[in-house]
Amino acid sequence: MISNGNEIGKLTLLSIVWLTIVFVAVWMVTWAVGILLPMILSNSLGEKALLINEILCFITPVLSILVFIPINAMFMVLIERRALALFTVRKGPNIVGPDGYLQTAADAVKLLFKEDITPTGADAFMFTLAPIVFFAPSIFGAVPLLAAVTNNHALFQVLNLPTGIFYVLAAASIPVVALVMAGWSSNNKYSLVGGLRSAAQAISYEIPLVLSIITICVLAGTLDLVKITQQQAGGILNWNILGGGALSGIDKFLAGTVTGQPVGNILATCYPFSGLSYLAVGALIISTIIAFWLYLTGACAEINRIPFDLPEAESELVSGYNTEYSGIKFAIFFLAEFTNLFVVSSIATVMFLGGGDNPIPVWILDSIAPLKQAVALLNDSFLVQTLHLVNPETLFSTLWVILKVYSLVFFAILIRGTLPRFRIDQLMDFGWKRLIPLSLIVFIVVVFARGLVICHG
Amino acid sequence: MATELQNVDLKTDEMIINMGPQHPATHGVLRLILTLDGEMVRHVEPILGHLHRAQEWQGQNRTWFQYQALIDRVDYLSGMFTSWAMARSCEQLDGITVPRRAEYLRVLVSEMNRITSHLLWLGTYLIDLGAMFGFPFYPFREREKLLDLLEEIAGQRMMFNYIRIGGVQRDPKADWFQRVKKFTDEFPQRIDEYEAIVTENPIFLKRTKGVGILKQSVAKDYGVTGPCIRCSGIPLDLRRTKPYSVFPELKFDVITYDKEGDTWDRYMARILEMRQSNEIIKQCLDMIPEGEIMAKKQMAGMRIKAGEGFAAVESPRGILGCYVTSTGGEKPFRFRWRNPSFCNLSVLSELLVDSPIADIMAIFGSIDVILPDVDR
Repeated sequence: MISNGNEIGKLTLLSIVWLTIVFVAVWMVTWAVGILLPMILSNSLGEKALLINEILCFITPVLSILVFIPINAMFMVLIERRALALFTVRKGPNIVGPDGYLQTAADAVKLLFKEDITPTGADAFMFTLAPIVFFAPSIFGAVPLLAAVTNNHALFQVLNLPTGIFYVLAAASIPVVALVMAGWSSNNKYSLVGGLRSAAQAISYEIPLVLSIITICVLAGTLDLVKITQQQAGGILNWNILGGGALSGIDKFLAGTVTGQPVGNILATCYPFSGLSYLAVGALIISTIIAFWLYLTGACAEINRIPFDLPEAESELVSGYNTEYSGIKFAIFFLAEFTNLFVVSSIATVMFLGGGDNPIPVWILDSIAPLKQAVALLNDSFLVQTLHLVNPETLFSTLWVILKVYSLVFFAILIRGTLPRFRIDQLMDFGWKRLIPLSLIVFIVVVFARGLVICHG
Repeated sequence: MATELQNVDLKTDEMIINMGPQHPATHGVLRLILTLDGEMVRHVEPILGHLHRAQEWQGQNRTWFQYQALIDRVDYLSGMFTSWAMARSCEQLDGITVPRRAEYLRVLVSEMNRITSHLLWLGTYLIDLGAMFGFPFYPFREREKLLDLLEEIAGQRMMFNYIRIGGVQRDPKADWFQRVKKFTDEFPQRIDEYEAIVTENPIFLKRTKGVGILKQSVAKDYGVTGPCIRCSGIPLDLRRTKPYSVFPELKFDVITYDKEGDTWDRYMARILEMRQSNEIIKQCLDMIPEGEIMAKKQMAGMRIKAGEGFAAVESPRGILGCYVTSTGGEKPFRFRWRNPSFCNLSVLSELLVDSPIADIMAIFGSIDVILPDVDR
């Protein structure tokens, strides 16, 4: 029996309201700069506007990220505090604004007006540089993800890279340098221990993290994030978490059988070695689910969340690397932490959970007539045709991405509300003796099993 | 050549860290000077006295009646026990026989107080281990219920001043007993809930099993008492070994282990003690007789006969003793407290050496030290 249904309802309402605010704000800015402004300019200036429009084209994605990060972090901090309160029979912030909706906005303002202290004996240059180095990768590192999560929307295509996922992972590994910088330059022993811990931890846990991503790349045959999402289109059976496309043959077979079209020898084409192939499909499904779990574990450690929050272990190291930070520098650390949580959840969504794809197989959706009519109605409307305010495909894709990403975020919060913290030597043991061998085994299994199945066939 | 290389001393520099008095996890104002070799602790020096409030000296400058109200602050989580220790020592000196109803009420409220103390320990211990947000608030839920019940009879949530020299302050209403009964009926299920989350949690086991093993000889040497020494295989529980009040009439066993206990055992012992206290409360509720609750008139000019008296009670942290000297005047001549936290804390420097820095909090938390109780 749910005894706190009222609180759950409030939390859901809060999420919906805040998510609407966040994404409407971001989309309005993006639309104004990326579509409306070029439209007006080309109408009034004609040929002369071409150069300006080209520049605007590059500015738009960056601007949308810059608008998105602070509002999103505010929402995530609020939802984390409210959700943790829900898990722990408390009320959570419910005073500032209607039912506490503006608590984090008030906190942000408070942090900005706090005195910015540099401790005596600190290396002032490094001390200032650290939060910047920590925060910057979450801006420029997330850029290639944009095209993938918006169903390859025209505005975000400019920043898509053929080596997308490697760029994102490379950017995601920079913040650890900042943590060591912060720890060293603070002239505080707790900070130093925290910084060193974070270095050790990041090095250990990046290996299973990257290996699990590589597993998916091997299955997909590409590093391009947009291609990886497009491959997974068409329902949950095509997603990478379930065998990395190994089930797509079965998906096609089912689609053909249900709609009554000739299926031919689809199964024989996709699974050429019959029994052995089906065995490989099973191995792939298990491997990719393990890879997903490995990714989540590695990501939790990468962004220093409980149970891997040793660099800022409060009961041991006060606050770890950011002990000495205050005011806006601390705010930037705080902002980047939550942005990183969002980024790793987005990577998981794109790589494992099909990006903006909806989980219901497309042949079931096609059979529902009213749905098709509704989409067609939206497609013909004034908003889409004249103002280009809404792109239905992008809209639906983004809604699914939001749902998936925030489910993962909520999962991380749930874990934070449940588990105690590892000790540093246990953390290292767990990383090197369990996760890395496991990820290598998964990788090898996938490499061999892939030869027996035609994935995303 | 090879042997020479092996003999090269690769010792790295040791780092001295000052942990506390302002630190999130030192439970108040304990200061530890740690010598670290990497992450390993090589030497610990606890520095006490940051919370010294001259509780003993204050006893000499107040009347008996005033000092009664003050001593709840010595161990703020188990105020009933400090009151009780003082009351018993003064009664011994004055030759007062406490009414039986009062004795039962004392056992009842003090066992309730023991549960609140252990519940708070459980929550904060999980915080020490890094479960910052999820679990720790659940014990507080039950603690609030108990504190509400205690507040109703004592008028205060934590500084009860309920147990007085000669009896107890107030007789609770009839429905109060029923509500306590209701609580005791549902409380074992709540402990089952905590155990479901914590006891077999793999990370919790990793953090606590085999950590901070307290050897029997060390525990004896340092005068450790309470759950800590019972976990190390010495069944020292004043309620049984030197029974006082109505404990001989109640049925319960001393919770003890045959081996040398680690932090997990100390956790388990407190969980069992909570269940045991719950049973004792149930028995008290059934057995409590009708009658008087106070044998001595409570007033400002109260006097205690001249002489010396000592009495000890089994508090949640161990043996809490109170030694009192009276000259027969309005004010006590001298008070001396034997606080369990002080003796338990002194063993810390033995336990912490050669353990990682993260275990400091796991071990320190498991001893369950209240800093005002250490410094008085």
